[in-house]
Amino acid sequence: MIEAEAFARRRGGWFKNPVILKELRGRMRGARAFAVLSVYLLLMVGFALLLYVLASASQDVFGFTSGGQIGRTLFTGIIGIQLFLVTFIAPAFTASAISGERERQTYDLLKTTLLPAHSLVIGKLLSALSYVFLLLIAAVPLQSIAFLFGGVTELEVVLAFVILSVTTITLGSTGLYFSAARTRTLSANVTTYSVTLLITVGLPMLIFILIALFSSLLGARQADIAVEVQVLLLYGLLALSATNPLVAAFLTQYWLLNKQSAFVFYETITSTTGIIQVPLISPWIVFSAVYLLIALILVIRTVRRVRRIEN
Amino acid sequence: MSEQMPESFEGGVPLSAPEAPIAPAIDESDLIVETRGLVKRYGKLTAVNDLSLSVPRGAIYGFVGPNGAGKTSTMRILTTLMLPTAGQAYVAGYEVTKQPRAVRRVIGYMPDYFGVYDDMKVWEYLDFFAACYEIPESSRPRMIADLLDLVDLSHRRDDMVDKLSRGMKQRLCLARTLVHDPQVLILDEPASGLDPRARVEIRELMVELARMGKTIFFSSHILADVAEICTHIGIVEAGRMVMQGSMESIRRQLSPHREAIVTLLDRLEDAKSALSGVQGVLAVTVLPDEGGRKRLRVTFDGEDALLSAMVQTLAAQGIPVLNFSEQAQDLESVFMKVTKGIVS
Ligand SMILES: Nc1ncnc2c1ncn2[C@@H]1O[C@H](COP(=O)(O)OP(=O)(O)OP(=O)(O)O)[C@@H](O)[C@H]1O
Ligand SMILES: [Mg+2]
Repeated sequence: MIEAEAFARRRGGWFKNPVILKELRGRMRGARAFAVLSVYLLLMVGFALLLYVLASASQDVFGFTSGGQIGRTLFTGIIGIQLFLVTFIAPAFTASAISGERERQTYDLLKTTLLPAHSLVIGKLLSALSYVFLLLIAAVPLQSIAFLFGGVTELEVVLAFVILSVTTITLGSTGLYFSAARTRTLSANVTTYSVTLLITVGLPMLIFILIALFSSLLGARQADIAVEVQVLLLYGLLALSATNPLVAAFLTQYWLLNKQSAFVFYETITSTTGIIQVPLISPWIVFSAVYLLIALILVIRTVRRVRRIEN
Repeated sequence: MSEQMPESFEGGVPLSAPEAPIAPAIDESDLIVETRGLVKRYGKLTAVNDLSLSVPRGAIYGFVGPNGAGKTSTMRILTTLMLPTAGQAYVAGYEVTKQPRAVRRVIGYMPDYFGVYDDMKVWEYLDFFAACYEIPESSRPRMIADLLDLVDLSHRRDDMVDKLSRGMKQRLCLARTLVHDPQVLILDEPASGLDPRARVEIRELMVELARMGKTIFFSSHILADVAEICTHIGIVEAGRMVMQGSMESIRRQLSPHREAIVTLLDRLEDAKSALSGVQGVLAVTVLPDEGGRKRLRVTFDGEDALLSAMVQTLAAQGIPVLNFSEQAQDLESVFMKVTKGIVS
């Protein structure tokens, strides 16, 4: 009996998950989903054009002739706006996932079925994320226009996509967690956005300020600062990148251009006591590891929450 | 759903209503739903207070009580949605807090609200819940067609769920409770908020389902609704079970003796002594005249044969009887008598 049940579930797999089927059916019904996608792409194209015009104008003024410069501006601009959009869209899609079931009074019905809590949670997460991924993938061709101008490598496109995806997954999980923890969608939204803003904007700002204060206290010349402190600052910067997709993307690009590596490399530190090589990991790796771990913890806690029988 | 008026059944149903239409005999010791000393407290409020419930397999069990009596709370415990504060609850032999999955497999639950998705078609709604109950995809279309047929919604198969009328939604929800062919249906106020016709339809469906072998445990505030189709009744008030048992035993407990009123043209004393002599008659009292007519109240204990024996006795002595009728005691007044109106 138990074995047969387990087998049926395994054979069913994720794509037989009734929640995914239902959510996608609902979301893709009618013209809404396609309207949203079209508006999104139109906005992105408009933004890219604007960037192009600005970049070419500045090129005229400063007399640059490098197409690579335009390509890079376009690429970073598009990634930046996508990151911004994902930060707002991903939680919006999941924050109503479970509280919405409560508000429609279908949550209890689902709980009396044999649907396991993890199927409900993963089904909700995957169906919400799949739509955000659709938006991300739809914009890839736009990013690739940057190729036409040169100056951007395939590796950068891939890394940008990884950072965007990880951000989507973790912020989506955050929304889902608060959706289960709060009874109302409104309150779930408010909490989710507060936490998201705190992490993506508040925390980096705080750390930046601390680092700035710290550096000014230490004095102006880098070489005067003790090696230990410099190493600490460097790792602090890396840790900071793990809290924020924008910082991670920026630093990854910085080290990619300066050290030609997107994985492991050495940073040289000069001080009065000599020159040492500090091993570093590219920020996108640290960021992805930390963000995915957070997502995993949030999903597990959401499942526990959903499984619990009310007291 | 608190200000419900029994629109269609004013005055209640007489105690001598036709017997519940369930043919197979019910084994009173084969309990499919059972609670022992069930307690549910919300903070200081005790919603369910030492409630012991026995629903035999195959019964249509009416769980009756005024607003706030603790019916929904009891049902939420039985459907594994809520933990009791104390006591045990069993469904088909499974303890609800220890084997919730086994319990969910055997119950179909309809809450006192609809719970429908606004972006779904009727058949998709049933298909989704069937999938949640792990019904194989291949057997779903046939099952959905059968269920829609049963609840008379086949013609609305491709309509959006939120476009249905209340009565249709209620029938759809009833169909939803059946997708996994459960043994027990737990229905919270299935007839509330419906017009008289929709109400009758739901009740007919319940009778039909009982005939198909399902045990039905449902709640209501309207005893009249319950009395017509139930085999068993539990009357609950302020979280306590006031009275419980088969319709027969409830009737007997509520009014141990039957009453008849005899209206005579004349010969009051003769009639009184004649009736007192009939085996089974407990008391004969003279009632005040009503419009010049003489009346007697006969209290008796026995089957309908006794009634006809009394008529024959009077006729044999040539006593001029104008009217002879059994006094119908309606259940609603009985209900008022039993429930003291602690909660309202
Ligand atoms: N979640 C809750 N928190 C606090 N009190 C509650 C909760 N649910 C129910 N109650 C209270 O418990 C008591 C019993 O409620 P319950 O819903 O079980 O009664 P009911 O018999 O279903 O009433 P009705 O006929 O109105 O549906 C009521 O006084 C109600 O206010
Ligand atoms: Mg109720």
